[in-house]
Amino acid sequence: MTSRMLGIGFLSPAIISVCIFFLLPVLLTVVFAFTNMSTSTGIMGGDYRINTEQLRSLPDLDVSEATVERLETAGFQITEAGLTALADQFSKDTAEELREDYLGETFESRRDLERVLKDLDEPIRRTRDRKEAADLFAVTLIGERFGTEEEFRAALGTTGIDAVDHDVLTEFAYTGWTWTTDNFSLLMELPSTLRYAANTAFYVVATLTFNILFGLFLAISTFYLPGRLANTFRAIWFLPRILPPVLYVLMWNWFTWDNGFIATVMGWFGVPAKNWMMHTSTHAWTAIVLINGFVGASLGMILFSSAIKAIPTSMLYASEVDGANRWQQVRYIILPQMRWPILFMTSYQTLSLLTSFEYILLATDGGPGRSTEVWALAAFHTALNNYGGNLQYGFGAAYALVLVFIGIALSVAYLRFFNFKELLSKPRIEQ
Amino acid sequence: MELRLENFTKRFGDVTVIENMDLTVNSGEMMALLGPSGCGKSTTLFAICGIHKMNGGALYFGDRDVTTVSAQGRSVGVVFQNYALYPHMTAEQNIGFPLKVQRMPKAEIRREVERLADLVQIGNLLDRRPAELSGGQQQRVALARAMIRKPDVLLLDEPLANLDAKLRLEMRSEIRRIQRETGITAILVTHDQVEAMSMCDRIALMRDGKIVQLDTPEQMYRNPQSQFVAGFLGNPPISFLPARADASLTLANGQTIERPPGLEAMGDVVLGIRPEHFGPQHGTGLKGKVVFVEPQGREELVDVRLDGGGDIRSILPAGDPIRPGETVDWGIAPGTILAFGPNGDRL
Repeated sequence: MTSRMLGIGFLSPAIISVCIFFLLPVLLTVVFAFTNMSTSTGIMGGDYRINTEQLRSLPDLDVSEATVERLETAGFQITEAGLTALADQFSKDTAEELREDYLGETFESRRDLERVLKDLDEPIRRTRDRKEAADLFAVTLIGERFGTEEEFRAALGTTGIDAVDHDVLTEFAYTGWTWTTDNFSLLMELPSTLRYAANTAFYVVATLTFNILFGLFLAISTFYLPGRLANTFRAIWFLPRILPPVLYVLMWNWFTWDNGFIATVMGWFGVPAKNWMMHTSTHAWTAIVLINGFVGASLGMILFSSAIKAIPTSMLYASEVDGANRWQQVRYIILPQMRWPILFMTSYQTLSLLTSFEYILLATDGGPGRSTEVWALAAFHTALNNYGGNLQYGFGAAYALVLVFIGIALSVAYLRFFNFKELLSKPRIEQ
Repeated sequence: MELRLENFTKRFGDVTVIENMDLTVNSGEMMALLGPSGCGKSTTLFAICGIHKMNGGALYFGDRDVTTVSAQGRSVGVVFQNYALYPHMTAEQNIGFPLKVQRMPKAEIRREVERLADLVQIGNLLDRRPAELSGGQQQRVALARAMIRKPDVLLLDEPLANLDAKLRLEMRSEIRRIQRETGITAILVTHDQVEAMSMCDRIALMRDGKIVQLDTPEQMYRNPQSQFVAGFLGNPPISFLPARADASLTLANGQTIERPPGLEAMGDVVLGIRPEHFGPQHGTGLKGKVVFVEPQGREELVDVRLDGGGDIRSILPAGDPIRPGETVDWGIAPGTILAFGPNGDRL
């Protein structure tokens, strides 16, 4: 019992980390994906308000024109607030007289109010001024803030707007976030969805192929080099992995800029200077595959190297006296025994490539245009770094949720495929 | 095919493992490279098959100088101690691999594999992988793979070391049978004298990178050239007794025995007496006390401490009621005493 408690005690930092850094984000992603949260809605809820700018989009919601007109000017009422404004802008005496005689009175139309203003003992004489003064008493919902739905509906009631439109307007006026599945239907509708999916597939397949093949090439070629030379080469190829990503990509940027290394060298041969990373989408993809590929290949190199070293020397000797040349030795003896490391590397890297976008973000940021925008980067851009400034947390979370499901599905598939117990039981490479 | 190694020298870094070694293996002969571990026997084998480069000397397969030829270019078959079968291939693919890398047509490979499988008697196991084969079966597959190219030389590196006692006995005669049937020139590397003596036509006994004696098994046992050879061969091992030679042989403990005929040396010598040559059936002459009896079923191994010092071993048929502590007076078979000088050379 005590030892069990002790075990849980020792595990607790890991359990807490998993909960905070893995389970909680996944949970929040699920929650956010079913909301329309964005910068404009905030994440804390909201109030009810309709702005002048929003009026224009009202007819789209099948709201009658009369309603729109009503919204704009429901009528005029002599209020304390209006009187204070009048006292400031025009004269105190006029305001005082108006308060005494008309406080609380309402007028159906502007003309009625204007006539009252004209007929005062201290009248407002100029027609233009009267118009402005009348506006101070206009009763309208526009620009006014209501804390709760009840208040807004009550206000709607006073304007005499047709009751059929109340629900639509209430929903329209709400500035906070609501639960919705619109994010997913939007994902299905947008043509960019397919584009990002295709980009992601291309990115994963191309990078993975490069990773595995180049990693294998490095592992096998260094295997045949003398020890110290091999270690030197491995250390050099390992540099991209131990370099901070920002620094690493920055070096690539310098390398490819229009006055960078490639441009300069190509300039000697008369090639006009250009940005070798962002010139076309082909350039961008090449750069991205190489940037990610070198990092991935270095990991593959280490894993594959150790796998090759695990092949008993006598087996390699045997193949030599059996008459196999180097190529046949690689093809028939080494590669077949690398099956498990290669499969492991493939599955591991598929998952990490699907979700990682930092190198693309730093290198091309999805450009030129959106040609290298992959799914994870789209999620990031939508939710956290939008060009328009309106960060769509909900929509971004929907993007991310799709990725979470693909990742879980792939993980389960890989685990079944690898038969994890068998993998853990004993090294496959021994006979 | 005859194999000739001339002035063979092998160095690893600054360490010279073998210096100027000469060795000739006759065509169709099975030669044992026997010696304690570290004597250079495996190094010699690796040099012959081309895995290790030679630092000096020359190697001939028949008339062909293969000194600088790569392992792939030499026609050798090697059976490794752990068999070194390819785990991802079936027995058939393993055996056929040397032909596959020569791009031989599949049907022909198939035919050759079946021929070899019949020779090593594993025709029914061809579609199994090494992991599904027993040690002895793996050994047969390895043997078939080594022989399928009809190599000039067959090299066997401790081929029986990984087998249990019973299988070892079986494979010993199997390997010898196959070697005889095919008439292939073979070299067996082993540290086990029984293997070397039972399987090979001749034995090259090595020590510290040198061949100390090259002879037939019988000659080497009966007529060792040095104290080392006498001590290495024979199980249970020979007993050595220091003695002084003048008119008779006076042992260090004071007992005397007759000079064997033909021994001319005088002065300090070491006498070698094999256990089967010492016992009650050879009369009397050496007095002592039995200190240890080790029954071995058919025989009994008896250790006798001689009066005045010195141990001598005897092997007797089982059934004699000999107990530790018994005093004995046993003789030595005439003409079997081996005498060695102070430097270990045979006198």
